[in-house]
Amino acid sequence: MGSRQITEKSLVMLRSLPRLSLANIRDNPGSKHYPKRGRGQHSGDKHGAGNKGSGQRQNYMRLGYETGNNPFYLRMPHEPYYRGHHHRREYPPISLLEIQKLIDTNRIDITKPIDIASIVKSGLYRFFPDQKHFGINLTDEGVDLFATKINIEVQWASELVIAAIEKNGGVITTAYYDPHSLFLLKNPKKFFETGQAIPRRMIPPPDVIEYYTSAEKRGYLADPEKISQERLRLSQKYGYELPKLETDQYFNMLCERKDPRQIFYGLEPGWVVNLKDKCILKPRDEELLQFYAS
Amino acid sequence: MALIPLRMQVMRMIAQCGNYSTLLQRSMAYKSAISLETLYPNSSLKLSTPSFTPNPNEKFSGYIPMEKLEIKYSASSGPGGQNVNKVHTKVDLRFKLSEADWIPAEIRDKMIELHSNKLTKEGYLILRSDVTRTQQLNLADCLQKLRNMIRDAAVTKREPTPETEERIRQRQLKASRLRVAVKREDALRRAQRRAPTVVDL
Repeated sequence: MGSRQITEKSLVMLRSLPRLSLANIRDNPGSKHYPKRGRGQHSGDKHGAGNKGSGQRQNYMRLGYETGNNPFYLRMPHEPYYRGHHHRREYPPISLLEIQKLIDTNRIDITKPIDIASIVKSGLYRFFPDQKHFGINLTDEGVDLFATKINIEVQWASELVIAAIEKNGGVITTAYYDPHSLFLLKNPKKFFETGQAIPRRMIPPPDVIEYYTSAEKRGYLADPEKISQERLRLSQKYGYELPKLETDQYFNMLCERKDPRQIFYGLEPGWVVNLKDKCILKPRDEELLQFYAS
Repeated sequence: MALIPLRMQVMRMIAQCGNYSTLLQRSMAYKSAISLETLYPNSSLKLSTPSFTPNPNEKFSGYIPMEKLEIKYSASSGPGGQNVNKVHTKVDLRFKLSEADWIPAEIRDKMIELHSNKLTKEGYLILRSDVTRTQQLNLADCLQKLRNMIRDAAVTKREPTPETEERIRQRQLKASRLRVAVKREDALRRAQRRAPTVVDL
């Protein structure tokens, strides 16, 4: 059969076959490999988990902990590199290149402000608040290729990244979210289904409050007038014309910010979102209103 | 439902559809105790594009108008395989020094004098940079170099004050006095070691 006949036959088949859906597709054979639970003399019995203790009970202690005695990594005081490692905050990175790819493949809506919830919703960024992850670190890979005007809110960004976003007429803000708020942002639907009231977002801890109040880092607690001055300074440092935000048609969207106590755009602390009945319940008690506005 | 005022009903409906009109948002927006309005009561809380106001005391303010410079990007040199071949990270920045009206006249003349050997035939000053892997950082580096050049040309040697000159003169005189005193002492010591010259009275 010639190739033309093959294509014609395929098209005829396609017209009569049912629509492609989850019910009539499957993975390529051999593409998914699930780990099998070992059986037999070597992998059976305790299945590589040892005897008793946190190891067998899959409730592991933190890295380096030696059940109370002075751990190895702390025994040398002249090499204090890992002291307090379990207290340090981590910001899993995502590059500007990744963000550009998400925008180009329509996985992120740039007509609305972007925050960590939108990026997680796109499905290509994962973070785990229970593992000391405190948000997004926007890295500078792809800084020369970035060409979109966005209003983005991240938790950590370097000067170069800020310059790249402002060069394209966008706005970047660095904001702090406490771990509880991050759990909520990561999966809002799951939280709304619990029927709890939206809590207030907590203020940053003392060692990082300076970061979020500085205009150079575009902190969410910084004075917007000072931020405007910093925008000019950065445009001179990195050599680009500062785009006029006021005359932009999306000025209101670009300037849209959350209140420091707000977790979700458009939703206030204290509200209860009822997904089933599609309504929002708001507190009316004076004490509650005072608390949630504090 | 009838007990709830119409306004609240409307708000609830708006909350459901998720489309907030900006006007409604501003009047109904949530304001906590640590909102920007409470933190900065005297600020306009608006992002603006301020225009640069030069410092009248300084000759060169540091402001460089980007539209007056010609910037070209090209591929950098050195190892790096496909990436260094394809990505244009080298920055070539040039401008005609004699026509640069954004540099004050005295500084411009001084620059022409200092860098006369470096200018091209048409009078262009060229600055190149390919130190980093990003175009942006290389451009920042070029601008830094340019600012340093201008600042070096702006430096004027200060004339010493009369007090300083007097102090230097006194120091030189003192040094001469000490030198001569040491010479005199040495001469006396040498004379005392020699046999006395007999003077027949």
